[in-house]
Amino acid sequence: MKTPAASPHLDVRNVMWLLAAMAFVVAPHLPRLPYWVDAFFTLIVAWRAWMAWKALRHPSRWVMALLTIGATIATLQQYRTLSGREAGVTLLIVMTALKLLEMRTQREVTLSIYLGFFLVLTNFLFSQAIPLGLYMLVCVWILIGTMVGFNRVGSTPTLRERLKPSAMLLLQSIPLMLAFFVIFPRATGPLWALPIDSRSGMTGLTDTMTPGNISNLIKSDALAFRVHFDGPRPAYSRLYWRGPVMTEFDGGATWSVPPIAPPGGISYSRREGRVNYELTLEPHNKTWVFALDVPAEPPPGTYVLGDLEVRDRRPVAERRRYEMSSYLDYRYGEGASPVLLKSLLKLDERRNPRTIALARKWAAEYPDKRRLLQQVFQFYNREFTYTLEPPPLDPRNPYDDFLFETKQGFCEHYAGSFALIMRAAGIPARVVTGYQGGEVNPVNNELIVRQADAHAWTEIWLEGQGWLRVDPTAAVSPLRVEGGVNAALGPIGVIPTLVAADPLGLLASIRDSWRAMNSQWDEWVVGYNSEKQRQFFMRWGAPSVDWQTLGVWLIAATFGLGSAISFALFIRDLPPRREASLAAWERFCAKLGASGLARSPSEGPLDYLRRVTRERPDAAAAAEDITRRYIEARYGAGASREQLRELARRVREFRPA
Amino acid sequence: MIANLRQSISDWIFRARVPETPPVTLVQRRIFILPTRQGYTFAATVLLLLVASINYALALGFALTFTLVGMAGVAMLHTWRNLAHLKLRPGRCDPVFAGETAQFAITVETPSTTRFSIAVRRRDEEAVYADVAPHGMTAVSVPVVAQRRGLLRCGRLEIFTRYPVGLFHAWSYIDFDLRAIVYPRPDPAAGAPPLHSRSDAEEGIPVAGDEEFNLLRAYRPGDAPKLIAWKALAREQGLLTKEFSAMASSELWLDWNEARAPDVEARLSVLAQWVIQAERFGQSYGLRIPGVSIPPARGEAHRTRCLEALALFAQ
Repeated sequence: MKTPAASPHLDVRNVMWLLAAMAFVVAPHLPRLPYWVDAFFTLIVAWRAWMAWKALRHPSRWVMALLTIGATIATLQQYRTLSGREAGVTLLIVMTALKLLEMRTQREVTLSIYLGFFLVLTNFLFSQAIPLGLYMLVCVWILIGTMVGFNRVGSTPTLRERLKPSAMLLLQSIPLMLAFFVIFPRATGPLWALPIDSRSGMTGLTDTMTPGNISNLIKSDALAFRVHFDGPRPAYSRLYWRGPVMTEFDGGATWSVPPIAPPGGISYSRREGRVNYELTLEPHNKTWVFALDVPAEPPPGTYVLGDLEVRDRRPVAERRRYEMSSYLDYRYGEGASPVLLKSLLKLDERRNPRTIALARKWAAEYPDKRRLLQQVFQFYNREFTYTLEPPPLDPRNPYDDFLFETKQGFCEHYAGSFALIMRAAGIPARVVTGYQGGEVNPVNNELIVRQADAHAWTEIWLEGQGWLRVDPTAAVSPLRVEGGVNAALGPIGVIPTLVAADPLGLLASIRDSWRAMNSQWDEWVVGYNSEKQRQFFMRWGAPSVDWQTLGVWLIAATFGLGSAISFALFIRDLPPRREASLAAWERFCAKLGASGLARSPSEGPLDYLRRVTRERPDAAAAAEDITRRYIEARYGAGASREQLRELARRVREFRPA
Repeated sequence: MIANLRQSISDWIFRARVPETPPVTLVQRRIFILPTRQGYTFAATVLLLLVASINYALALGFALTFTLVGMAGVAMLHTWRNLAHLKLRPGRCDPVFAGETAQFAITVETPSTTRFSIAVRRRDEEAVYADVAPHGMTAVSVPVVAQRRGLLRCGRLEIFTRYPVGLFHAWSYIDFDLRAIVYPRPDPAAGAPPLHSRSDAEEGIPVAGDEEFNLLRAYRPGDAPKLIAWKALAREQGLLTKEFSAMASSELWLDWNEARAPDVEARLSVLAQWVIQAERFGQSYGLRIPGVSIPPARGEAHRTRCLEALALFAQ
């Protein structure tokens, strides 16, 4: 390779640009990193800026070594590891800062800029939302602008001269980027095992439930899973996707899954209404698979617990598909063991005393369980409201506080308090968390279930009837179960402050469009995987979608778009088309030249004509006509398109004997 | 050895008809382009980004990776285009004395937009950078230290650019057969031209030595500034010109045989020094070296003619 030209010394302005670009890229990381990392990065960058500004000397090699070792030890101290998402990002940021501090040659600058591109990528480990994407686009713009600055040797570019070429490069790279994004074959799994915390968007249900944790989940638009039904889709109100079942109650507020999973092997007295469906589960790093009611047979790699939970044998760390079937009409568990049932009555007498007392009073009043349930539903139905922003509860007796004071709550308030009332009234009860309903995508008739559809309900055991699902939320807000969260809460539930001051509904409609855009983004951009890719190409009529086909497409796109861009760029550089009249005249001269009467370079048209007339009297008339037309077009009043065409025609027909 | 071999292979691959008739337009087939070392590092970076994106299934990671791939592709076109259609012409190459630095100039003209960071260099020497703005010519001078007197050939020049992002090196070769005349290095020890080399016809006129003038006369336009009597001017006696006695006598012949020196080059150095001295004093002088005889005269053109004769002696 060629030896590089002597590197120009690092221009202060260029260094400042680079530092600013790096600060921009790192900024989104700062709030999630330990304070000392933020301070370290800020101080080092400030030091480097000061050094560049004042043309100070670089710190000695000893100082650099000390800083490097110190920062590595501090990172280890912080995370006990150097791998994993947080620790890795911390280490990368710390090392980038040190690289910035020590850089003095063009090569080191280049490396720092490339590190900047890496840091952009690390941001996507935490979020791939639209705003961050746009922000990072700006960062890349600035980083490329920095590259432009460092490659302007001999003169210092203005702001415009940095940002405009950079913008041009980015804009012109967009077609190729889009083509590659769509065509590049997507792998179905990771290349190597990922650390547990490596992915963003791992929101989802947890193995405990307290009032408040599901309502937090509900603010997320993230995809939980997608379902494709074979045959008709059951009504919304029957779509209870069962997840973790919570049988342990701490007496206060918290329900949790049992430490030892209940064994399988359930006897059913009725199983009807079979529904077949295909479920595509987003990664959530837990083993839960969400199934409707009573799963028929567990899909490969999964098993069913005694409480009808479906579990995968491995945590779902990447998107997985399950062929499932469920029975929606069922009866089971009539012969449950007394030991199990007794454990489902456990509560703490010292906490939530008012709730327990009320439940016992009702139990005494209504020995008939149906009457008792009716009474409880009436109680909820009368004064309670369903809201995403419930007031905080007394931590000691939260359900007392909820049932008798605040009377505002979300599904987990209702499920938790209802299960407590049931247990106090002597009815075995458990809390089931999962998702309810979903949203049908009219394009492919797929049911999309988001974190926002998270739900909690209860199951009670009745003598002679086995396990029954009871959803107290339905008593308060039937719409929740029939039409989803948004129908139940209206716009007020989610962004109350904004929408309350929006009589025209303008903000609400903006918010709705924004949400729609986000869900499209999540589905087609963030969620673009091998599956989506296959769908996309099938829709365009591609017979098969494999690596070879995509490879051919990739090459075709590269060449096609590459030539289109080259053409668009170079068309501007082509020498201007010669005037038509001149071209015709030159052809005329060439014809005469071929017949031995070449025009000398110094000869003007009229002089030439005189000579032609003298030497070739037979062609004189035609030559005079052409010359006259040429002079008129080029030096006279000009010529219209038709006149030019006429001139060209006459030249074409001109035959100098 | 290897470097020489490389040079000759490169000469053979990129051979151009020498000298080329100006103006030379850098058309498509004259421009070569290859990635720089930075470019290869960039490719490695992009590959790493791709692997990370695949592994973590980061959609925006893919977007970033492919944006950078596209950017590199477009950057190649831009780098190439930064050089394309430039019009080159040979520029001035002023004569220098041996030991000084000759400047080989070419002028660059752009038919369209401003071309930033256009560099010109000679073989692997340091490059000279310039921005070429439209409407007009930009002169780029490549400095070359003139070691020996004679005719210094610039040889083939490389015109290249890495703008805008330094990932690619686009270059072209141009050889206008630029030459600069290198005068012999004047010998400071040579002193003044010897007195007796004056022509015999002028004998008898008193000469008081070159450094002393013997009369002041009114200034005439064209008199050398060195000869102006600045002290007199300071005394407000008006603009006067010093007339040296040596000048008063008419002609001086700078003769090959008078220059006492061990070898040819040293002799030429002595003569060069004498030419400079004589010209400085406004003396009319002639030059007589084997094969060349320049009759006495004065002035810049005459001086150049004499120095050129010395520079090109026996070449």
